[in-house]
Amino acid sequence: MVDVEHAGDAELVQRVLDGDAGAYAGLVTRYRDRLGRYAVRMLGNQADAEEALQDTFVRAYRSLGRCTDPARFGAWIFGILVNRCRTVGAQRARRERTVIPDEGALSRAAVGDTADRHAWREAIAWAMARLAPAQREAFVLKHVEDLSYEEMVEVTGASVPALKMRVARAREELRRLLTEADR
Amino acid sequence: MRQQRNDPIERAIDTLREPVELRPDFERRVMAAVASLPVPRRAGPLRLVAAWMVTARTVRLSPLGGLAAAAVVLTALLGGRALLGPGAESAPLGAPLAADGRAVQFVVAVPTASTVALVGDFNDWNAEATPMRPVPGDGIWTVLVPLGPGRYRYSFLVNGTEWLTDPTAPRTMEDDFGRPNSVVTVGGT
Repeated sequence: MVDVEHAGDAELVQRVLDGDAGAYAGLVTRYRDRLGRYAVRMLGNQADAEEALQDTFVRAYRSLGRCTDPARFGAWIFGILVNRCRTVGAQRARRERTVIPDEGALSRAAVGDTADRHAWREAIAWAMARLAPAQREAFVLKHVEDLSYEEMVEVTGASVPALKMRVARAREELRRLLTEADR
Repeated sequence: MRQQRNDPIERAIDTLREPVELRPDFERRVMAAVASLPVPRRAGPLRLVAAWMVTARTVRLSPLGGLAAAAVVLTALLGGRALLGPGAESAPLGAPLAADGRAVQFVVAVPTASTVALVGDFNDWNAEATPMRPVPGDGIWTVLVPLGPGRYRYSFLVNGTEWLTDPTAPRTMEDDFGRPNSVVTVGGT
């Protein structure tokens, strides 16, 4: 019986490839919160985020044999999620032309907040929804998920200079939008 | 522990880093979905090669390689300009020159600005790294930047919020999804 809580990623991947599908639950539990936060911040909508995240875990399971460095399962599946969020965001943009932020995505965990705090969360959701997707992606990876630029290259396929430019643009645009929302 | 700061960006980051709450049955739904799938198989060498061949990847091609030796961009201005090379050595602002003696003087006319910063590939698009200096009286802002040979994208950031391309330099749309940047090319010796 594998101790999923203490087993490393490589061991859990190995168990799954050896036929123990249940070991995959350990990887889901380990990464769901971090990946879920990224999906919610990127898509601004809890339902879309959970759908993208579930799809990511299923795709990763199906492709697990192609995870060439199982010890870095986290980085590998992050790349899959980044692509899923891009696809879902693009499909939704075509469908709706505009992103409809779900205020609950930011405020759900905020029961008991003051009115000011709630308004601040709404302002952030509003501003994030107005960033260009590539800028939002770079901003969230850098500042929310705390990835290095080298790690960002790995999950996005973009170059370091391009990513730095997007982060800088996103910061200035977000500053402008939040200042506007504050007026 | 991160401190709440007055900067709205830092405050936003603090908020965005808070955990999100997924539905309690999330794991169960994922595991139910994978239960109907065949057990994944380890990819052998042939499958890995096949996967590599069909995976989309970014390939960066620069048309400048063969032109680098000759590429010296000298943009003359009236709204703005990037002046390159030995002529910049006598520029009045005294910024250090690159080891090979090359520097680019960036100049832009923005009479109404209270601050202008130069941001680009050479300073990691850091809005605080290269502030431009006003030339008293005529709304001209300038800065001298040492640059090695290469191609650099850049923009001016006016009053911390407004992005302005250099009206006299070539523009590129690459990598910024619809927002243009200017381009300066510094040739090799």
